Amino acid sequence: MKKKNIIPPACSVLELNRLKPFENVGIVGMPPVDVIRYLNERQVVIHDLDALLVRTDMEYTAPYLPRVYCAVLRTVVLNALHLDLDAIIVDTGPGKCNSAFHVAAVLDDTFALPVMCTRNDDRAAVGAPFCRARMDLTEKMVVITEGVKSADPPSSSPDPCKPTAGFWGVPPRDFSILSFFPDTTHVYGWTRCMENKIPADAELEAYFNPDIPTVFFAQTFCAKTALAKLLAGRHPKALFLDVDVNTTSSAKAKVQAFLELTGAIT
Amino acid sequence: MILGDFGTSYCKFLDLSEAVASPTIMATKDLPSDIHVSFSTGHNGKRFADAYVNELIALARGGEALIKEPDYVLLDCGSRDIKYVQYENGSLKDMGWNAECGASMGFTIELLERYYELDYNELAVPEQTFSVTCGVLGMSHIFDAIINGVSGSEAVAKFVKGIAINAFRFVNSPSKIYLSGGLCDNSLFVNSLPCKVVRLGRHVLLRGLKESAERFAAG
Repeated sequence: MKKKNIIPPACSVLELNRLKPFENVGIVGMPPVDVIRYLNERQVVIHDLDALLVRTDMEYTAPYLPRVYCAVLRTVVLNALHLDLDAIIVDTGPGKCNSAFHVAAVLDDTFALPVMCTRNDDRAAVGAPFCRARMDLTEKMVVITEGVKSADPPSSSPDPCKPTAGFWGVPPRDFSILSFFPDTTHVYGWTRCMENKIPADAELEAYFNPDIPTVFFAQTFCAKTALAKLLAGRHPKALFLDVDVNTTSSAKAKVQAFLELTGAIT
Repeated sequence: MILGDFGTSYCKFLDLSEAVASPTIMATKDLPSDIHVSFSTGHNGKRFADAYVNELIALARGGEALIKEPDYVLLDCGSRDIKYVQYENGSLKDMGWNAECGASMGFTIELLERYYELDYNELAVPEQTFSVTCGVLGMSHIFDAIINGVSGSEAVAKFVKGIAINAFRFVNSPSKIYLSGGLCDNSLFVNSLPCKVVRLGRHVLLRGLKESAERFAAG
């Protein structure tokens, strides 16, 4: 029996209080801090469904989503299919995307568990020290993406470094693209919004440093490809790059060549 | 020191220890399995060399050495893919590498020439073109045209022009293209590009590899 409404119900702390206690909750995007705090205070295990949690064939998602669809959201469905979850909370506000809104409906239709939507309009920036730190870019991205599961900012705050390269965009599904960047890479775009815990801050998302060579990255089939391409056109030394499920050798070669030919790496 | 550009269909070598170093070429299918060089580039290059330089870097360094203009577009059309670098005021402005949608264009052109026993330097550029974004998928246009009474040579010419137009659009439709790769020797392809074309030949990547090797040696 299919559920009647296509739009999953809104999620709030009040709503969560009415439901039975959860042990494992999947989140998509960045639900508001008060929701995350509610889960943290009850020691609920949060699974970031945008991340690569399950290494199995993406074809399992084909009955639920078109193959030509954002690889991160296909990964959300893949994770949800394989994890034992009590509920899923999907941020569908301006801090995420329309595609996630539709995926929320798919999840609600597919799984016999509560699927709820949030609208994250948080405006209290907590800072983005890791985006500006001297640190391996992959490790940096892990710290930032792990931060989505906590209502509090990271306990440590590394010193900022002088940037020699920039990475603008969302955390990629496949982190292997990050291995070519120098440790002195600063992170911009939605990832910086993410660390700041203000995912809907469009001005911060559009910010970049025109003085350093910057890769403007988006997942193929993501609406953010338009913004990435626009900003890359405005930046004097930019590479626009979109990558689907896995990073192809040509995409890796483009990043490596761009960073070397612009002097960001030797 | 031997440099090698290990392409999908052909491999090019340059022995810098020779008094007058000039490139040599061999079909990739004839490549000895135990061959080893100091520096390599190309799809097959990593397993045959002490050090590997990726093809876009080799192309860009080759362009920097060969082209004496601050602003230019350098396009390399290989067997398997097309790639380009655009320079503005002597610095990298843009680049692209189309290994998926531009798949196997050069290789398909060569196969068609043999199968239909054509000479691309004898074929006129056709008025019309096929919309071709992929060598393999584009073949169906040829077969459909032949079914409808078009000669094999005309159908193939439309296909080649379609590939040229696709490559031209891929590099953002410039007024002039510096062309690298084996297709420099294909007059039908070159004349199908709707802009001024400067043919640099098939050894641009090898030249770029030489530049990279010299930079490496200089520390």
